[in-house]
Amino acid sequence: MASVETVFLSGDQWLKNWLFSWGMPESWVFLCTVVVYAVAVLLFVFANVIFLVYLERKVAGYMQQRLGPNRVGPGGIFQCVADALKLLGKEDIIPASADRGLFRLASLLIFIPATMLFVVIPFGREMIVADLNVGLLYFIAVGSTATIAVLMGGWSANNKYSLLGSMRAVAQMISYEIPLAFSLLGVIMLAGSLRMSEIVAAQKDLWFVVLQPVAFITYFIAATAELNRGPFDLPEGEQEIIAGPFVEYSGMRYALFFLAEYANLVSVSALAVTLFFGGWQGPWLPSWLWFVIKVYFMIFLFMWVKWTFPRIRVDHLMGLAWKFLLPVSLVNVFVTGTAIKLFQAMGW
Amino acid sequence: MSGVYGEGLLKGLGITIRHFFGKAITEQYPERRPKLAPRFHGLLSLDPTKCTACGTCANFCPNGVIRIKSERDEQKRRHLTGYEVNLLYCLFCGLCVEACPEGALRFTPHFELATYRRAGAIYDLYALSREAAGERRAAGG
Ligand code: SF4
Ligand code: SF4
Repeated sequence: MASVETVFLSGDQWLKNWLFSWGMPESWVFLCTVVVYAVAVLLFVFANVIFLVYLERKVAGYMQQRLGPNRVGPGGIFQCVADALKLLGKEDIIPASADRGLFRLASLLIFIPATMLFVVIPFGREMIVADLNVGLLYFIAVGSTATIAVLMGGWSANNKYSLLGSMRAVAQMISYEIPLAFSLLGVIMLAGSLRMSEIVAAQKDLWFVVLQPVAFITYFIAATAELNRGPFDLPEGEQEIIAGPFVEYSGMRYALFFLAEYANLVSVSALAVTLFFGGWQGPWLPSWLWFVIKVYFMIFLFMWVKWTFPRIRVDHLMGLAWKFLLPVSLVNVFVTGTAIKLFQAMGW
Repeated sequence: MSGVYGEGLLKGLGITIRHFFGKAITEQYPERRPKLAPRFHGLLSLDPTKCTACGTCANFCPNGVIRIKSERDEQKRRHLTGYEVNLLYCLFCGLCVEACPEGALRFTPHFELATYRRAGAIYDLYALSREAAGERRAAGG
């Protein structure tokens, strides 16, 4: 079991030793490992996204009492490969009236923060690319920059539906950023740190979801809105503004938006696992496997919600963020702070 | 309106999760054949021994689907030589079947009528029925 547990770590160590044996200076070895980490993270993201597209369609199918894709390969498992090939083969159309530079840039820019988020996620014991002392802050800060890419995409397409969609996206993402950050505050107060590894370590005996159920629920709702997923998928709103900011995108550029969306789903679920479900900690199984299992449980929760609830109205959406989630998360912060002080006073 | 705030949400989640673990209700078509009603309107079929080539069916058809070819023999009796239906325009309304005074037309449960070319949707029911009869004779004798 120990070897399975540390398979990635020993691989990393082996790589470093191998590079050193070539007589490489330390800074070069460091650079090489950074490249390897980046490739590993990208692979993890791509593999998950491809699987998630399939999973989403399957889950949606089962929840609607049908089977979902089942034609390509056993159980339709190659459906996403076929879809990816189709998207790769499509023509990359840029509308005549679009701002070409911005239009191209937006599709690339959306993907960068989505992958950057994985840098601070602890995938397993000591398996974290960069254990920043402001890990959580980094996550929220980088995550919120995705809004700019969405706005760029919607604006540069020069299409009213795109613009409407991206305006909605920006309004929604900025509004929900606030309850999201406040809901995390309770966890930070309990862990006493913004460093991901310390937050995980603080949940050794008790997961924070037990101590912070309100924070978890507010996080879950705000994260769903951040992801622009149903029931908060107004920016996309297929029935009214077609696909929102992505209307004019085609082929691989569209796929990049799609990819970013699912990459964000993984990262938001990973953050939820890290903050509320004890991260990679668990008995018997290797830590990275625990992490994946928990992340997929969270993803299933997101999908379950998406395929259950109808889309919310736009004024209700804003009302929910400002009049309900924000006060609730503030009260939660206050109660948590008071409780911590009380327990300290009682000498726990 | 009753109960706790959010009860409806939980109820909805309960329904979808039950569906998730329940059985699919959709028909898995190519593997499982549909059970068709006895009076299902599929491909038309003609009994050439009954048909008198009177043309009533063609007159009743709202879309001009049916084209009848016939010739007269020495006693000036009409004989059917061809009966073409262009299914591209057929509504499967059944007016032709109802109108036939001899009961020569009927519907079959054959419904997989998609073709690659438009010409494939034109069926000569007379030729088809003679072929079928020939096969039956061959199988019987
Ligand atoms: S079913 Fe209706 S449309 Fe078709 S051939 Fe008969 S009368 Fe015409
Ligand atoms: S109405 Fe009946 S008998 Fe007359 S031509 Fe049509 S199929 Fe034949």
